[in-house]
Amino acid sequence: MTLLSVVFYVLAAVLVGSSAMVISVRNPVKAALFLVLCFFSAACIWITLEAEFLAITLVLVYVGAVMVLFLFVVMMLDIDIVQMREGFTRYLPVGAVIAGIMMVEIALVVLSGRFELDNVARPAGQPADYSNTRELGLLLYTDYVLAFEVAGLILLVAIVAAIALTLRRRPETLYQKPSMQVQVKKSDRLRVVDVPSGTRQGDVE
Amino acid sequence: MLANYLPILLFLIVSIGLGFTLLVAGKLLSPSKPSAQKNSPYECGFEAFEDARMKFDVRYYLVAILFILFDLEIAFLFPWAIVLDDIGVFGFLAMVVFLLVLVVGFIYEWMRGALEWE
Amino acid sequence: MSLVAEDILIVLPEIIVSLMACLILVLDLYLPARLRAWTSFSLALVTLLITVLIILSNSDSNSVVGLNSLVVKDRISDLLKAGICLFSAVVFVYSRRYALERGFWRGEYVVLGLFGVVGMMIMTSAYHLLTVYIGVELLALCLYAMVGMQRDSIPASEAAMKLFVLGALASGVLLYGMSLLYGLTGTLVISEMSTEVGQIGTPGLPLILALILVVTGLLFKIGAVPFHMWVPDVYEGAPTSTTLFLAAAPKLAACAMILRLLAEGLEGLFQTWQEMLIAASLFSVVLGNVVAIAQKNIKRMLAYSAISHMGFFLLGILSGTAMGYSAALTYILIYGVITLGVFGVVLTLTRQGTEADLIEDYKGLNHQHPWLAFLMLLLMFSLAGVPPTIGFYAKLSVLQSVIDAELAWVAVIAVISAVVGAFYYLRIVKIMYFESPDTGTDIQLNCGNAQHLILSLNALVVVAAMPWIGTLAEICSQAVASIR
Repeated sequence: MTLLSVVFYVLAAVLVGSSAMVISVRNPVKAALFLVLCFFSAACIWITLEAEFLAITLVLVYVGAVMVLFLFVVMMLDIDIVQMREGFTRYLPVGAVIAGIMMVEIALVVLSGRFELDNVARPAGQPADYSNTRELGLLLYTDYVLAFEVAGLILLVAIVAAIALTLRRRPETLYQKPSMQVQVKKSDRLRVVDVPSGTRQGDVE
Repeated sequence: MLANYLPILLFLIVSIGLGFTLLVAGKLLSPSKPSAQKNSPYECGFEAFEDARMKFDVRYYLVAILFILFDLEIAFLFPWAIVLDDIGVFGFLAMVVFLLVLVVGFIYEWMRGALEWE
Repeated sequence: MSLVAEDILIVLPEIIVSLMACLILVLDLYLPARLRAWTSFSLALVTLLITVLIILSNSDSNSVVGLNSLVVKDRISDLLKAGICLFSAVVFVYSRRYALERGFWRGEYVVLGLFGVVGMMIMTSAYHLLTVYIGVELLALCLYAMVGMQRDSIPASEAAMKLFVLGALASGVLLYGMSLLYGLTGTLVISEMSTEVGQIGTPGLPLILALILVVTGLLFKIGAVPFHMWVPDVYEGAPTSTTLFLAAAPKLAACAMILRLLAEGLEGLFQTWQEMLIAASLFSVVLGNVVAIAQKNIKRMLAYSAISHMGFFLLGILSGTAMGYSAALTYILIYGVITLGVFGVVLTLTRQGTEADLIEDYKGLNHQHPWLAFLMLLLMFSLAGVPPTIGFYAKLSVLQSVIDAELAWVAVIAVISAVVGAFYYLRIVKIMYFESPDTGTDIQLNCGNAQHLILSLNALVVVAAMPWIGTLAEICSQAVASIR
C-alpha cells in the first residue's frame, strides 16, 4: 500500500464518518460543522486526484459560502428539534430495510471485480508544472462554451427566483435616500420670512 | 505532482495532532467542577428571558444567497483569467456574454431593491 | 475554436428565447405598472410564436451535430422544440387571468417560464450528458420557483418544497448514473457512448448500476411509478397555472431525453432497461388509474391520470422498435394537447377566491355552460381513449407497437387498466350532464374572448384532428428515423 492509498483511506473514512455524524448528531449547528468537515475531506480527496481547481472551488463555494448560509438558517430558524425527530423511530424499520438493501446492492457491485477498474490503467500522474485550472479553462470557454453560457443562465434564474420568492416590499418602513439628501438645495429647506416688527410669527401665514 | 503536496500533508498531520493533544491535555489537566449554575447561559445576571432561537428576517438569507451566486460567478473567472492568452477573442467574448447575462441579473436585483435594507 | 453558422443555427431558438427573457426582465423594471402586465405577456407570446416559425422554417431532414458534439439538431429536436414553444404559449394565454387575480402575474413569472422553455429546448437537442444535465437543471430550477410563486399559499409552498427536495434527489441520482457511465465508457457524447456500450457485450454489474441510476432519474422526472410520489402533491398544491405549465411541455422534453439516452446512447443495454421499463410502465398504468378513482380533487385526479399516461408513453419506448418510439412520440404530443385543454377548462372555472378544483364543482355544468361542458366532454373522452378522439389513436398505436414486440401480456394489462381508468373520466361527464347543480350556486366563467376561442380550438382539435392523424404519425416516424 502506497502512502497515497493510506491518505485516501484516511480521508475517505473521515468523509464517511463525518457524513454519518451530520445526520445523527442532535445539535443542528454541530451537524452543519460536520458537513464542513465532509466538504473539506472531499476536497482533499479531489486534490489527491489532481483536480486542484475543483477542490479549491469546493472549499471556497461550499465551505465559504453555502455553509455560512446553512449556519445562518440553522442558528436562526425556530425549529423544535424534539418535534422534528418524532417520526424517527416510526420510520426507522422501513428506512433501515431500504438502506440495508441498498448497502447489499452496492456491496455486490463493488465486489464484482472492483468496478471493472482492472480494465482501465491508472492514469499517469502529471508533472509538477501541470496546471489543472489551465486545462479546465482551455476546455470550458471553447469546447464547452454552450454549457458555460447555460450555467450563466442558471445563475440568472437563481437570482430571479431567490428575489421573486423572498423579497417583500414594505411601504411602511422609512429609510434615507442619500442621492436625494445630497441633491437638496437651500430653497427646499430654508424659507426666509420677512417678519414685520410688531407682528407675531403666526400672523404671517 | 502529488509529491509536492507532502509538506502540506505533514503540516495537516502536525496541526491536527497538536490541536488534538492540546484539547486532550486541557481536558485531563485542568480542574473541572461543573454545576447547573455554571452551565447556564449568562444574561446580565438575570435568568435567561427566552430561547435564543428566534425567527429572523428572510432578508439575511436573500443577501447570503445573492452572495453565493456572485461567488460562483467569480469562480468561473479564475480559469478564464489564466488561459486568456490561449483562448483568444472567442474565449473573451464567451466570458463577456456570461457576464452580460449576470449583469442583467444584477440590474434586476438592484432595481427591485433586493440590495436595499429597508 | 470558432463558431460556424451551423452551430449557431442549432441553438438559435434557445438564443432567441433567452435574449427575449432577459429583455422582458429588464423592461419589466422600467415600464410603468399599467403597461407591465401587458408587455411581458405579449412579448413572451410573440417570442414563442416567432421561435416556432423559426424552428419550422429551419427544419430539414439532416441531423447536424454541433458545438463540439454538445447539441444536435434533427427532426426530433425540431418537432419537440416547436411543440414546447407552442404549448408554452398556450399555457401563458390560459394562465394569465388566473395568475393576475392571485397577484403573482409579475414579469418574473413570465421570465421564469421562458427560461424553463430554454431548459426544455436544451434537453431536446442535447447530445452530450453534460448538456442533458444542464438542461434538466435549468428547467427544474424554473419549475421550483414557479410552483412556489404564490407565496401566501401554504399548499403551494409545500408543493414547491417537495418538488425541490425530490427533484434535487433525482438530479443527484441521474448525475451519479451519468458519472458512472462516463467512467465506464470514457465518453460523454451520446453517439460515442452508444458505440462503446455496444462493444461491451454482456454488461457487468457496474454498467447495470449506472443504467439503473439513469433510468431512476428519468422516471423521477416524468413521474412514473415507483418514483411518482411528488406528482399528486405538486399538481394539487401548485397554482393551477403552474400545474398546467409543468404538466404539458416538460413531458415533451423528457421524451426527447429518454429517446436520446435510452434508445440511442444505451441501446446496447436494451434487454436490461426494457425489463425495468415494463415494471415501471405497468405499475404506473395500474396504480395511476386505480388511485385516480378515489380522488375528490380534480387536480389530484389529473395527477394520477398523468402517472397512468406516462405508463402508456413508456409502453411505446419499451417496445424498442422504431415504430414504438414513433408511437411514444405521438402519444406524448397528443397527451400534451389534451392536458392543455383540460387544465384550460379548470382555469376557466376558477375565480378569485375559488379554485374550482373539486370534482363536485362541475355538477350540472351543462345546465349553465353547455359549450364548456361539451368541450370538457371531448377532452375527457380523449383522455379515456374513446374513439373517435386522438386519445384513442394514441393508445392504439402504442399498444400495437407493444404487441408487435411480442409483449401481448403487457398490452392486455394496460388495456384492462385503461378500461378501469375510463370510469373516472366518464364520472366527470356524468356529473356535468346528469346531476343538477347545487341550488344557489352560479358557475361563472372567467375568461376573455381570445382565451375562450383558443380553448375551444384546443378542445375541438382532439376530434377535428382525426383525419390528419396519419400525417402526425408520419411526421413522428420520420423524426425517430434520425435515432441511430
